[in-house]
Amino acid sequence: MHHGEAVILFASAGITFAISAAAVDEIRNTSGLEPLRAGHLGPKFSKFKYTLERDGRTYFVVDANEHFHALPTRHTRLLVLRASPTAILVDGIDRMTEIASLHALPRAFAGDERNWYRGLAVLKDSVVPVVNADAFLSRAECTILKAAVEKMGAAKGVVAG
Amino acid sequence: MTRKIEGGQSFVLFPLGKKRFALPANVVTELARPDRLQPFPHTTRMLAGVLLRRGRIVPVCDVAPVLVGAAAPPRKFFLIANRTFGSSREWTAIPVTGECELATAELLPVTGKLPRYVTGLLSLKQEIVEVLDLELLSGAEAEA
Repeated sequence: MHHGEAVILFASAGITFAISAAAVDEIRNTSGLEPLRAGHLGPKFSKFKYTLERDGRTYFVVDANEHFHALPTRHTRLLVLRASPTAILVDGIDRMTEIASLHALPRAFAGDERNWYRGLAVLKDSVVPVVNADAFLSRAECTILKAAVEKMGAAKGVVAG
Repeated sequence: MTRKIEGGQSFVLFPLGKKRFALPANVVTELARPDRLQPFPHTTRMLAGVLLRRGRIVPVCDVAPVLVGAAAPPRKFFLIANRTFGSSREWTAIPVTGECELATAELLPVTGKLPRYVTGLLSLKQEIVEVLDLELLSGAEAEA
């Protein structure tokens, strides 16, 4: 049980989610994204749609709808995470608020959601899933994507040369 | 309404469309009025979302598609049952299509070929009711 945690409420696929404010470095618009073709790496990589160059660092941009296996919606905002080279494409930002407590995900939920969420928060009469920021990009996915981007960069260099 | 048959066990009978099923009464907590179902993404079969009930977050397990098919009529109430996960128990809301009934009857062994989650049969006045094991029912669907 955590007390008084600041969270950012965001929407994706028509659902409101919360993410720890401490996990987010910046909220920005969707300009400056470079398409990333990672589908050939396997179906798990289809959610990585773009890269973002920011302060000399490459961020892998995750489509939140695909991450949550939801139908597509229009994204207008990007949540750039603090602890990993990950940015999340979302429909929009609702507001920042504080959650009094984090409830464990009921045990009946037995699928991927056990990794997607840290738990559930109750805001007034609504139940809001609190996302696990580390679940958007695993270490293994990060390693594979970095290698793929380097390879693509090298190939571009050969063509340009 | 309560039916009584000498020497029997208690069951809660619940309707799903034209058919009724039963759960042992000791796993049923209450029958709840319609409440706001709150869905969010997940990959667990049969789960439809959660309810907020008396400050508790209750997962909603819609068993109708498995038991009576996709054409099940709209569910009007929630039967709150206890599910066991290892040493802990957790409420689960099961959407049902009408009022429930408490019945006391002899649990008869399963005859014929029925799914594993049917643990017995109740022979009532004009119907045979299948008694379900929620854990096996969830497992059966997960294996499907």
